[in-house]
Amino acid sequence: MVDKELLVKTAKKIVSREDVKYVVGYKQGTYGFVISPSFAYTPEDVDNFIYNPLCKKNLTVYPILEEKLPLRREEEEDKRKIGIVVKGCDSRALVQIIQEKGLTREDLVIIGIPCKGVIDLKKIEKRFPNQTEAVNVVETDNAEYILNISGAVQHIPKEELLSEVCKSCEYPNPTIYDFLIGEKIEVGEVPEYSGLKNLDETPLEDRWAYWEKHFQNCIRCYACREACPLCYCKTCMADMLEPQWIRRSVNLSENTAWNIMRAFHLAGRCISCGECESVCPVNIPLMELNKKLEKDVKEMFKYNAGLDTKEKTLFGTFNTEEPEEFIM
Amino acid sequence: MTKNSEGTFEIQNPYQPLLAKVVKITNEVDGARAIKTYKLVFQDEETKINFSFIPGQFVMVSVFGKGESTFAISSSSTQKDYIEISVMKHGKNTAALHELEEGDIVGVRGPYGNTFDVKGWEGKNIILIGGGIGQAPLRSVLNYILDNRDKYGTLDVIYGARTSSDICYKEEFAELEKRDDVNVHLSIDVEEEGWNNYVGFVPNNLMEVKPSSENAIAITCGPPIMIEYVIQNLLKLGFTEKQIYTTLEMRMKCGIGICGRCNIGNLYVCKDGPVFSYEQLKGLQGDM
Amino acid sequence: MENLVIQTEKLSEWVNEVIKKNKVFAPVKETDFSNFKIIDDYSEIDFTYLLPRVPAKKILFKQTETLFLFTPGSKGSVQTKEISDEKLVVFSLRTCDAKTFSILDPVFLGDYADPFYKSRRERSILIGLSCNKPNVNCFCTSFGDSPASSDYVDILLTDLDGKHLVEVVTERGKKFIDNYKKFFTSASKEDLDSKKKVEEQAIKGITRTMKLEGIPEKLDKMFEHPIWYENAMKCIGCGTCTFVCPTCHCFDMQDESTLREGARVRVWDYCMNPEYTHHASGHNPRPARMNRVRNRIFHKFNYYPINDNIVGCTGCGRCIDYCSVNIDVIDIINKIGEAES
Repeated sequence: MVDKELLVKTAKKIVSREDVKYVVGYKQGTYGFVISPSFAYTPEDVDNFIYNPLCKKNLTVYPILEEKLPLRREEEEDKRKIGIVVKGCDSRALVQIIQEKGLTREDLVIIGIPCKGVIDLKKIEKRFPNQTEAVNVVETDNAEYILNISGAVQHIPKEELLSEVCKSCEYPNPTIYDFLIGEKIEVGEVPEYSGLKNLDETPLEDRWAYWEKHFQNCIRCYACREACPLCYCKTCMADMLEPQWIRRSVNLSENTAWNIMRAFHLAGRCISCGECESVCPVNIPLMELNKKLEKDVKEMFKYNAGLDTKEKTLFGTFNTEEPEEFIM
Repeated sequence: MTKNSEGTFEIQNPYQPLLAKVVKITNEVDGARAIKTYKLVFQDEETKINFSFIPGQFVMVSVFGKGESTFAISSSSTQKDYIEISVMKHGKNTAALHELEEGDIVGVRGPYGNTFDVKGWEGKNIILIGGGIGQAPLRSVLNYILDNRDKYGTLDVIYGARTSSDICYKEEFAELEKRDDVNVHLSIDVEEEGWNNYVGFVPNNLMEVKPSSENAIAITCGPPIMIEYVIQNLLKLGFTEKQIYTTLEMRMKCGIGICGRCNIGNLYVCKDGPVFSYEQLKGLQGDM
Repeated sequence: MENLVIQTEKLSEWVNEVIKKNKVFAPVKETDFSNFKIIDDYSEIDFTYLLPRVPAKKILFKQTETLFLFTPGSKGSVQTKEISDEKLVVFSLRTCDAKTFSILDPVFLGDYADPFYKSRRERSILIGLSCNKPNVNCFCTSFGDSPASSDYVDILLTDLDGKHLVEVVTERGKKFIDNYKKFFTSASKEDLDSKKKVEEQAIKGITRTMKLEGIPEKLDKMFEHPIWYENAMKCIGCGTCTFVCPTCHCFDMQDESTLREGARVRVWDYCMNPEYTHHASGHNPRPARMNRVRNRIFHKFNYYPINDNIVGCTGCGRCIDYCSVNIDVIDIINKIGEAES
């Protein structure tokens, strides 16, 4: 269990600093199992910070979302740092963005949390529907979640609620941080991601039918893009008009183009936080695409994204040993 | 227009433009922020005769395959059989418009929006204050007044651009300067060799010209920041909120109050505007 | 107007009869949710989920619509898009989705009637289905509506366990149901009483309340309140809340063409995107998330009441259900109610 007191104490210390604008962490949401991002500008604001297995949201999207509005006369740019609470995968997003020069290390004060995996909100809401009251969830040492729902205590095997991506997580410990809350987790043998059969194994026609069914449902709300910390291009190719890579029409062809192009743009960059998949309002299994590319990148280039800020990005490097069968 | 199989009702399709021929193109400004003026004649004889508008209104103009954009009608309603629009090259559709040649076909929808109260302003002194391409809707008023000159009092035109080469409607201003029933006050933002008129921003030129607010109506259009300072200065000169008018620009798609994006507060610029008195604007709470 | 009863086992026969002469939209199971789709057989209908993921607005106001066709280029021409005259039936509408149309009508049938919406509106029969088990974020009752309301439909069905009560509400509904007389018998007083019980039960199941009293007027004074910053800081700027909203109606228009033929299409657009208001000149009247989040709430709870005398929200709760950062409109409006203006 994460020491909440230590988390709050650390965040308070950070937010008190003059060179820090705010710290973003988690707080209880407005109903049921929902967690809300929480922006603390003062030490008092930190009091509502929590951390539990429901804190899935990858908060690293926020430093990039900071708007740089045109300054009015005599107004100065606010260059203060942003404090941020990150889990293992989240921290890899920061490393990747720093490698790509989207952020600098000096922009951030990072509170790292070694993570034992987080709950898939869709799973828990399906299991316990219509929860209005806030529910606290605690993880035990023997792979169970304890939920207190309207006075009734429930023990649920961790496996049943855990997010799929967490089951194959290789980096539960933050790869970059200024403060670490709790002990680092020992990483044993990591099982391979189980969702690749729809891209690797099933017959071609079934594969296509599977993805067609999902892409047909896409409403092109771009929640996947906006929630992804690595989808931070100033102008997304999906919004470009000249040339127009993807038409705005919502149909199977354009939806497929969008989802596949996005997946490719994340090759060697995706850090497997699963945010795209969990925000998708029509439940497209986007991580299956991302994981497939992650696997290919790993096999072909021996590359893992988001581990070390001093390393170069996959597409920023080239060596003559690299496979080239796919180049025409 | 479309009929159902029983042929019992007809539905107008307000999204479908009418065809118009580009009969004349005038190069107003060259360079990166090029401006051209297009004279358009409707292809359909009936529309050509019946199309009518009042200064202040706008049209949506398409190059088929490139899109549609909003333009103030810059000709006067007294000029029959054609309309003019002035186009600054900015995006995909305006770039396509700039590629057009005389004889080419565009789509036109409109006229949309409310109007300047040109009838109600008869007998008044008129001051037009424009900046850059913002002169387009004011040109419509200007030409309307010139064609009904005896119905209005004094007429002042205050206009500014970044540099002398950014001045829109140069030749027309040169013609205007020769007339004695209109006072033209031009300005450019920075000093330039051979420039004999005012150097500085439009709001400052306004303070130099110091028009009297008595029995006057001031109409301004230009970049948002210019409009803001012009209005402040007009108030300093004693103009009341009811004597100041502006016409606003917002990104639009449908032009008819459905697509949602051009609102300022509860008003839609496309149908409740684009013309607003300062009295209305001041009471408006919204993002501009 | 008329209260009838249909035995539940006859429901499939009736609906299959209806399908023969009408295009019928009903909730169909997707992977693990349902969506409105055209059905060929009653068995495709999925009654297990309360609300289809994308609201019923998509049937009358399609996400992608061809407005007209053209020949591209500088010698272009236009061709009118024919509008079909097929009869439409929307089956299993909940109150919150049915109310959509009374909110969208002033927009699409105003000074300039939208021919596509108008035609479909005139061609469609709305058949409601009372809710018996509301979701966590349901709050139609906050607007004085009921989960078993017959106000916004032509015909309302209520599941009375073994049979369905069929309330024929409108003239149009009566004309429609008269084609299928053999499936129905008259409803008894007991049937109507049973419906009341179902309705009461459902209302009890609605646990969240939006306190709306005085909100539209109060918002006039709260344009500059910190609550907009608080919520906008969380917003990631996706279009989920607008696309799953039964009353959001904003759209974009774009030309899509090949060398020889093209179409101007309109697609749903979302005001949470900075591009939405971005002028070609570079100026953006709503440059920050704060402006955009505020505009969306004002549109529904202030601008709509001023312009059309109706709140632009039906209480379906979808924007709360699918917001990934817990921007909760019930919470926002209730906080506004409590805040000092």
